[in-house]
Parts: sequence; structure tokens; C-alpha cells
Amino acid sequence: MTAEANERVEQKHYLRFSVPQRLQHILLIASFTILALTGLPQKYAAEGIAQSLIGLLGGIETIRVIHRVAATTLMVVAIYHGGEISYKLFVLGKRANMLPTVKDVQDAWHWLRYNLGLGRHYPRMPHFNFSEKAEYLALVWGTIIMIITGFMLWNPITTNRLLPAAWIPAARAAHGAEAVLAVLSIIIWHFYHVHIRHFNKSMFTGTLSHKEMEEEHGAALDAIEAGKEEPKLPTEVIQRRQRLFWPYAVIMTILLVGGLVFFITFEETALTTTSSRLSEPGAVSLSVDAAAGIAAEGAALWQELDCQTCHGADARGVPELSSIPLAGTEISFRAFAASVRRGPADMPAYSPEQIGDEQLAHLWAWLSSLDQEAAQAR
Amino acid sequence: MRKNQLWIMAALAGLGLLLFSVVLFAGPTPAQGQDDPTPPPDSESDYCLICHARPDQSIPLPDGSMLDISVDPEGIEHSVHGELGLGCIDCHGEDAFPHDDPLPPSARVFTIEMASICTDCHTAQANELIDSVHASALTGGNLRAATCVDCHGAHEVQPPDNPPVIAQTCGACHQFVFGEFETSVHGESLLAGDPNVPTCTNCHGVHGIEHPTTALFRNRSPELCAECHADEDMMAEYDITTNVFDSYLSDFHGTTVALFAQQDPNVASSQAVCFDCHGVHDIKRVDAENSRVVRENLLETCQSCHPDATSDFPDSWVGHYPPTLDSHPLLFTVNTFYTILIPTVLGGFLLFVASDIFRRVRERARRS
Repeated sequence: MTAEANERVEQKHYLRFSVPQRLQHILLIASFTILALTGLPQKYAAEGIAQSLIGLLGGIETIRVIHRVAATTLMVVAIYHGGEISYKLFVLGKRANMLPTVKDVQDAWHWLRYNLGLGRHYPRMPHFNFSEKAEYLALVWGTIIMIITGFMLWNPITTNRLLPAAWIPAARAAHGAEAVLAVLSIIIWHFYHVHIRHFNKSMFTGTLSHKEMEEEHGAALDAIEAGKEEPKLPTEVIQRRQRLFWPYAVIMTILLVGGLVFFITFEETALTTTSSRLSEPGAVSLSVDAAAGIAAEGAALWQELDCQTCHGADARGVPELSSIPLAGTEISFRAFAASVRRGPADMPAYSPEQIGDEQLAHLWAWLSSLDQEAAQAR
Repeated sequence: MRKNQLWIMAALAGLGLLLFSVVLFAGPTPAQGQDDPTPPPDSESDYCLICHARPDQSIPLPDGSMLDISVDPEGIEHSVHGELGLGCIDCHGEDAFPHDDPLPPSARVFTIEMASICTDCHTAQANELIDSVHASALTGGNLRAATCVDCHGAHEVQPPDNPPVIAQTCGACHQFVFGEFETSVHGESLLAGDPNVPTCTNCHGVHGIEHPTTALFRNRSPELCAECHADEDMMAEYDITTNVFDSYLSDFHGTTVALFAQQDPNVASSQAVCFDCHGVHDIKRVDAENSRVVRENLLETCQSCHPDATSDFPDSWVGHYPPTLDSHPLLFTVNTFYTILIPTVLGGFLLFVASDIFRRVRERARRS
């Protein structure tokens, strides 16, 4: 081969990643990084560095929201990827060349022996070599685990309707451990092979050079140079398959996106981290409705339960005790009930055994009737 | 003889004048008849006690309340102040007599006024008191709020170092809370004389008592419980694990609360703290029938925050003990799986990476 021809070969580039694949990868980088940065500090929350990072990203509530947004992005990418693979396999009839084969095991073995100086032959590897398959399959495995366990953590009550509750702490353990595995794998395996060993820009440029092909995908390069590319299906076959594929794709997309929306909106158990639960009116569970109250019964109970000692016989408070007047305050039934149940300030809390829900409704009815009297007087 | 009579008369007149001035300036003349057993006064306190030692004396006040003006001399003598040799005027001042101040409007107002005397000497406690719930309530107009003398007593002040008495003292006003506390695991042991269990002041503080329903109190409460429950020596006596605090922190609830407490302790977090599950004053042994956290009652406890929780939802809480194959088979299996998987996968990756580095280093060395 002449020097000129040699140079031409070296400058030759081989298409590796399509534009949609490159876009998926960018979204994956973004979501994975954000998930790691917002997830690991939660796992290691006792560490100073984790706390600094959480503070930097806007506090625990904010990072939980960011984590969920990134998770949703990753799930959208996963759904798209599933559709893309289905199209390639079932419409274009391509080989599932990401699945591991015996040759991959042999390649890995030869690669290791060659590196250690025990073997002479550097393996000539296929379009996707063993290191890439390992990473891809690890990513698929990891994403599935993270989605399933993430669902359980996001929706613990719903999960408990389907599975024993013991799955929830197990999911939490798996979610955290899998995260550590994923991040360390990326750092050790992905960074070494694609960034440190030499910087592989194909995920952004889309192509590999001849030299890179030689080193990483020798077998694929041989096939290309021998003109033995994967056979393409006839156009009419593809068109016939497309007619079946698109309805399937639309239905699957609707189902999966619907599932995703359910996933992220169904339950707020694990999301509501702040509330003034101690004074929040909605926080008490009541067995009766406000309408069940009878004002006359309430007036009798007011005396019987000795409410007047602090709140006054007319429920207008006892100024010397600086107690709260209740008449004329137009307090809601739930807020009233919550106050009685929880005992604000120096008022004791009363349990349902001490003052039943029905009695609360009577008392409230009486207080409301005082409000109405006051309004009529005006 | 006349001269002598004159001298005696002058002496008598002088004595009379002296007696008169004593009557005029020193107040009531001590009755010194032969039929009165009271010995002559030898200190100011004794002087006051001539009147105030008489039992069951009270005077009516404008609001109709009666002001008790009797003092038990024995009580003062054996009080912390009496033993230091302090007497009436050390607190009440010399100008407390004659009693020509206008009468206080009510007995309670008088008590509150008198309590302000304590802070003249006890300045440190007075400073702590300023922001306390009791002082705030008092300045806010709630005359029932506790002052120094409501807790310590006025004349019969004893050293405030008896935990059961402290609880009973608080209980005098906080009857509802005391009622819960005395049947709790802490209260029962306290009243039975256990020196380790907390009395009111161990959790709430002494003079600077904060409002216990603030976000701050809530967020810091796990640390409060940990003061004892993470103390290995103390917990060994009761065979209680000290892992409670760490296991709480590593759980979802505890992690969140810790992060809140660390970032802004004044932001209320809805995540459960110790007392949400175990109770506040009514904490029972975790295996007691009426404990909130005993298996039979745990669902109801979870439901107070997770109203939709179903039958076995409490199983999602791992507890305060490390999970074992028997107690948490699924969790234990997952942990074991990853304990094996992570080093295996990463070890394999590292082996391949190391071999590649080895080859490159060797090739470079050979070339140069």
C-alpha cells in the first residue's frame, strides 16, 4: 500500500451512532449525573460533603424534586429506546447485536491474556465489543432495577397494596446499592475505556476513525472492508412490517407514558416533607361530619366537659387567663377538632376517648350557633 | 429624798419618751406582759414573726381574694435561705415595714410581684427565664403562668434536686400531662425512684423552657432522646439497644429530619420523629400492650401520618435493630446480594482496567 493510500485509509471514518442515539446519550448523561448528584447525598446524608451538596442544590426538598424530574427524563429516554430497539429488531430485521455471545467471552479472555503478556493475539472484536455490551447490559439491568425500586419508594402505599410492605425497605436498600454500583461502574469502566485510555468522541461526532475501529472493532472493520455488511430487507417487507409496527408503537407509547404519569403523580407520601402538621387542620381523622352536630347538645357538653373554666361560659374567653375566645372566631370544624385533639399551647389535648368525634361536632355546632347569633345581633 | 424622786421621775419620763418613740417609729410594740411567752426579739426576722408566725391569718383584698399572711418559722429556718442565715428583710427589704403600701388588687398579683424579688439575687435564672414559655405567658397577661414561687415555694424553698418532686411540681399545673406521664415508662420508673429516667426538666429545660410545639423543638427532639438512648452505659442497665438513634438517622424519616435540622432547624418537617411513634409523655415500653409501637398497634400509629396505609404497612419500617435473615429475609437477601455483587463486578472491571494499564505501560517502556 502506498503512503498516500495508507493515509486515506487512516482518515476514513466509520458511522457508529445515529443522531437519535447521540441525543439519547446526551439525555442519559444529564439525567444519570443529576440522579447521582441528588441521590447519593440522600443515601449518605450523615456525611458533611453530602450535606454541603444538598445545601448547594437548594435543600432536601428541592433535591428530591430534582431527583424525580431527572428520573422522569431517564424513563422517557428508556421508553423511546425501547421503541427504537423494537423498530430495529422487528421492522428492519436487524440482529440483536447487543446480546452477549460466546465470542464475547473469548474476546474478553484473549484481551486479558494479551494485556498480561500471556497471549499473542489481540482479539478482533465485533461492532459492539464485550466491554460495550457489558456496560450496555449493566445499564439496562440497572435502569430496570432503579425504575422498579424507585416506583416503590415513590409510591410506598400503592406498592403495599400489591406486595408485602417488607419490599419497601428492600427496595430502598437495592436502590441505594444499585446506585453505588452504577456510579462506580461508570467511573471505573466507562471513564477508563472511553475517556482515559483514549478519548472516544464517537458519541458526539457519530463516527470512529480507522485506527479506533482496528483496535476496538477489528471484526466489524474486516466485515465492512470485505463488503459483508448486514443484509437489508426488501422495501416492501419493511413497509408491511411498518403497518403493523406503528399501531403497536402508538398503543405501547400511550400505555407506557400513561404508566409513567401514574408513577409520578399517583402518590405524594414520600414527597410532602414540609407541613405544619401539628396545626394542620386536615391532619386529624374524624368519623363524623360537621353536620352531625346538634347545638343544644354542644351547649350542655360545654359545661359538662368543663370547657368554660378556660374559655368562659359564653365561649368568649376569660381575659385574665388569656384563653382563646371561640365564639365569633368562625373556626372550621376540622381546625377546631385538630386543636382539641392536639392541644395547642397550654390547652391539654383530648383524645377521642375523652371527647368523642360526635361530641366535637355538637360542640362545634354550638360554637357556630353563637357565631350566627352574633351575626344576627349585628 | 425629793432629789431622788425627781431623778426617778426624769428617768421614767425619759424611758416613756423612748418607749413612745419606739412605738412611733418601730411599729407595734411587742407585747411583753408576764402572761406572754414570746421571748424578746433578737433579730429582724423574729421581729416580723411576732405577727406573721401566727397561723391562719389572712386579709381580704379588693377583688375578694384572701391574702395569706402567715409564715411557718420552722419552714423558713429549714429552707435553703434559712440555712444560709437569710431572714425576712433580705428578701422583703427594710422598708417593707410599716405596711403602708396600698393593698395589692389580688392575691395572685401580690404573688407575682413578690416573685420578682427572687431575680434580684438569682440573675442567671432570671435571664434564662426571659424567653421561657412561662414568662412569655405572664407578660402576655396570663396571670396563671408559673413564677419562681409557684415552683420553688416562697418561704419553704428546698434544693430543687429531687426528680420525682420536680415532676409533681410541674404536675400541679400540668395535670393532664402529669396524668399521662405518671403511667408512662419514664414516669413510673421516676416515681419508683429510678435516678436515670428523665423528669420534666431533662427534656424541657429548667428556667428557659421553650415551647415544645415549635419546629425547632421537633427537629432537635431526636437528639434529646439520644442523650440517654445513645448512652451505652445507661442503656446497658435496661437492655435497650443504643442503635436506636443511628438506625433512626439512616432511615428515611430520620435522614430527612436530620437534614432539616442541619439546614434550617426552624422549618417544620412532617417526617416522624421519635415521639410521633413512641408518644410524648405517655411513652410505654415497646412491648407493652398499650404501646403505640407494639406490633398490634403499629398500623394505627403509621396511619396517623399515612392514612391510606394498609394491613402490613408497618413492615416497611425496619426497626431499630440490624436486619437479620430471620427478622427481614427480603432486606437481608438484597443486602447480601449487593455485598457480593458490587465487589465482584467492580473487582472484575478493575482487573481488566489494570491489565490494560499494565500492557500500555509495558509497551511504552519497550518503545523508549
